Amino acid sequence: MKKRFILGISVCFLALILSGTVYAAAKPVKLGFVYIMSGPFATYGQFAKQGAELAIDEVNKAGGINGRTVEGFFEDSTGKSDVGIRVIRKLVYEAGVDAVIGLDSSGVASAVTPVMKELKTPLIITHAATPDVTGTNCNRYTFRISLNLNQNIAMAAKIASEGKAKTWTTVGPDYSFGHQSWEYFQKYLSQRKSGLVFLPDDKAAFPPLSTTDFSPYITKVISSNADGVLISLWGGNLIDFVRQGMDMGFFDGKREVLMTLGAATEVLYALKDKMPEGIWVGTRYWFNANNTPVNKAFVNAYHKRFGVYPSYNAHGAYAAVKMYAAAAAKAKSVDKEKIVGTLEGFALELPVGKVVIRPEDHQAVTDGVWGKTAADPKVPIRVLKPLRKFAGKDITPSVAETGCKMK
Amino acid sequence: MDSVVANILNGLSWGMLLFLISVGLTVVFGVMGILNFAHGSLFMLGSYFALQFVRWVGSFWIGLLLGPVIVAFLAILIERFLIRPIYSRDTSLQLLLTFGVMLILDDGVRLIWGSAYHVVNPPQILSGTIAIFSGTYPVYRVFLVIAGPLVGVALWAFFTMTRWGKTLRAAAMDRRMAEIIGVRAPLLFTLVFAFGAWIAALGGVLAAPHQSVGPAMGEHIIIESFIVVVIGGMGSFPGAFVGALILGLMNAFGATMLPDLQMAMPYILLAIILLARPRGILGEEL
Repeated sequence: MKKRFILGISVCFLALILSGTVYAAAKPVKLGFVYIMSGPFATYGQFAKQGAELAIDEVNKAGGINGRTVEGFFEDSTGKSDVGIRVIRKLVYEAGVDAVIGLDSSGVASAVTPVMKELKTPLIITHAATPDVTGTNCNRYTFRISLNLNQNIAMAAKIASEGKAKTWTTVGPDYSFGHQSWEYFQKYLSQRKSGLVFLPDDKAAFPPLSTTDFSPYITKVISSNADGVLISLWGGNLIDFVRQGMDMGFFDGKREVLMTLGAATEVLYALKDKMPEGIWVGTRYWFNANNTPVNKAFVNAYHKRFGVYPSYNAHGAYAAVKMYAAAAAKAKSVDKEKIVGTLEGFALELPVGKVVIRPEDHQAVTDGVWGKTAADPKVPIRVLKPLRKFAGKDITPSVAETGCKMK
Repeated sequence: MDSVVANILNGLSWGMLLFLISVGLTVVFGVMGILNFAHGSLFMLGSYFALQFVRWVGSFWIGLLLGPVIVAFLAILIERFLIRPIYSRDTSLQLLLTFGVMLILDDGVRLIWGSAYHVVNPPQILSGTIAIFSGTYPVYRVFLVIAGPLVGVALWAFFTMTRWGKTLRAAAMDRRMAEIIGVRAPLLFTLVFAFGAWIAALGGVLAAPHQSVGPAMGEHIIIESFIVVVIGGMGSFPGAFVGALILGLMNAFGATMLPDLQMAMPYILLAIILLARPRGILGEEL
């Protein structure tokens, strides 16, 4: 008995030493992830973390990046710019990460982008949508793999132009994202259709992020008599708005409603059948919009491991890891400058479809999806039916329009 | 429905919810002199218990009955083992301690229920809408508008008409004197703290069908509760009622009439009150 015990211990030691040597021979590739992990939007960070972990495990199982294992370091941006900058510095200087992936809030993204120049580390944005970071504020180290605000709003404008609504208003969060969504919606929709009325900003509704009682805004929009409403609320704000709007008769069919981020599964899982049917909703990625083997494998693996369908944020983190791994394989290196060079113009088949990183502004050009909410007895959440797909080139503004000038 | 009427109802229903949340804060401060930062987290716990009881037994009412009681018991433990040892110390220590309790409760909730958003449905009898004037309005909000004043009147009766209430006010006025005439102040303090937690959790249960339940909903509401309490008068519970009404109505009409200033208005009011009448609208002379 004792002998066996000693044998057992020695085997364990041996295994430890062996794995240690393997480990020492190839230093892991370190990826830093920055998402909102606490506070009211923490569920977005949770999904992203799951997506990242799934991708890292898949990459490691397939032999890692150039034979080196991949290790993820997760930090909480808390949705605040100063914290975002601090944790990215910490990731680069203390953990020594080879690249940074993430960012939910546009505010954080705008503040962090200039810092990447100083850190000389590639950043792949997977959620934050402000046009600035691949526009006027763009730089060599900043990339975005997800659809941005312009691309999403371009689809919204196309759908709105086909509808009957004549007078448009908006309900959006009272920070740059809500205001920019409304600004671009007016711009793109008036290019497509004339004779429409857009309510001025003080007649539209911009509730602060901290709002939990949306009744005054719902009353405001209903009494404005607008027959089209663009809603750019997201997360808990959108859930509260939908529930209170349901009670107050907002979804009575008298107005056309477009929710730019309504197809976030974080929101759909919370609302389940409380999400009204027949509402146009946008997203960055929809789990069954794409029939490719890459997407099916991702959705199945994700659903099997976490019990839910992947959200667009889960997809963003997953896709960024996969793209980084593919770029590093092509560059045969994780040298930061070489990765940046390889990512420019890089094309890869991802679950969302084919993604091309435009070399001039580092924005992903990829197909987008909008859909109408519908009930499906086989799925616990609302699904999109009909599903509208838009080609990436039709919804992406030209480089000149973005105002990006790379030095 | 006329938008003015709708806005009045919007303001009243939100105001009444604010009242239920902040009244415990002001009573605890009035009697014990403690500014409880964890108050919002106790409110959040109420919402999570509402969610959990709906999941277990499918009844909102059982959650309304039992949730606040469980939170009150938790508060007894917090008062007895954490707050009591530092009564005699500096006030800043109390602030730090209750802030720490808030962080622990928030993360505890995340450990147990995860960071996702949850939705609690109103009970059958309170869902749907009723006709008011020329339009309709959600029953649940009308229920809030009625429940707020009822709780307020019950509290007022308790404080002015019962022996317990009078003892409480006596202890709040002069703790030493109350002890000399035989009031057991430590026990009283424990009970007041538990009561404050009970009513915060009651507000939490009632808020659950109204907003999404998620971690950090407490951090959020505590700021508005502080504004209510300062405007109304620290330690005055009729003050909390008035403060909550003002904030609720300001929120409702501000969104329509002064959208640019809406976010700043509560703070502007706060600043004016602090400058012109530092003890608050219904606060006692300091």
